[in-house]
Amino acid sequence: MTSCPLMTLQVLVAPPQKLGAVPHGTRAIAPITGGTFEGPRLRGKVLPGGADWTLLRTDGVLELDLRITLETDDGALIYMTSFGFRHGPPEVLAALGRGESVDPSRYYFRTAPRFETSATQYGFLNRLIAISWGDRRATGPIYTIEEIL
Amino acid sequence: MNSQPLMTVRILAAPRQKIGAIPHGMRSIVPVIGGDFEGPRLRGKVTPGGGDWLLLRSDAVLELDLRVTLETDDRALIHMSFQGLRHGPADVIAALGRGEVVDPASYYFRTVPRFETSAEKYAFLNRIITVGVGETRPDGAVHRIEEIL
Repeated sequence: MTSCPLMTLQVLVAPPQKLGAVPHGTRAIAPITGGTFEGPRLRGKVLPGGADWTLLRTDGVLELDLRITLETDDGALIYMTSFGFRHGPPEVLAALGRGESVDPSRYYFRTAPRFETSATQYGFLNRLIAISWGDRRATGPIYTIEEIL
Repeated sequence: MNSQPLMTVRILAAPRQKIGAIPHGMRSIVPVIGGDFEGPRLRGKVTPGGGDWLLLRSDAVLELDLRVTLETDDRALIHMSFQGLRHGPADVIAALGRGEVVDPASYYFRTVPRFETSAEKYAFLNRIITVGVGETRPDGAVHRIEEIL
């Protein structure tokens, strides 16, 4: 399987809205307040207003369900969604929960982003499958996103 | 990008149910009547009864939305679903439409499969992000699925 770099995306999150126990697990919603993205073919900022609707399942896996809007440096809007999983050893997840910096190779944090845009210069985003590697930081995650070729 | 083979899934399909023009594009539904899968850690049959709810978008990209049930050779049931994209040069897509065998390198056919199972032996499937490279065949499709590490 071959891939090529699409972008690195850093999102800034506000404190999570902890909804607590829901029928599918434990729900917390992390509002996105901003951020930036940069890659060989596009760069810009993350608009405030999106969020990550996270669900901690009973098997200890955190399901991620992100929806955000990107604005490129030439003014195009790109809608991005990303479904993924985060899991790892309990002590590593506990350290992340305390906001500590943890080597991302110590846990599994992968997502599958999708994109929608009407901007013709970024129309290729409508037609690709992508995968990301996440790195949970105290201010919010950093995603390294690759296009599957 | 680090990945490893998960399995190759061969889907046998019945003739398309052509729903036709709907608000999002052209809808057709492909019933799944069987198939098989094989990988280093699991193998078995595709059970009849699933399907792929295809949507041909106005930008000529075919969106795939598959749901099937896999049964392993030791009788575990695994629900597999994926969303994916297929597109390529007009002549290649036309040849696929006529049921011809086409080199899969001549078009883009990628999916993001997800799995659900209650079988402990296969519970690793509940926690992984995967990518499939698809190949349209006259009698269905073949998906080579890799686990993203």
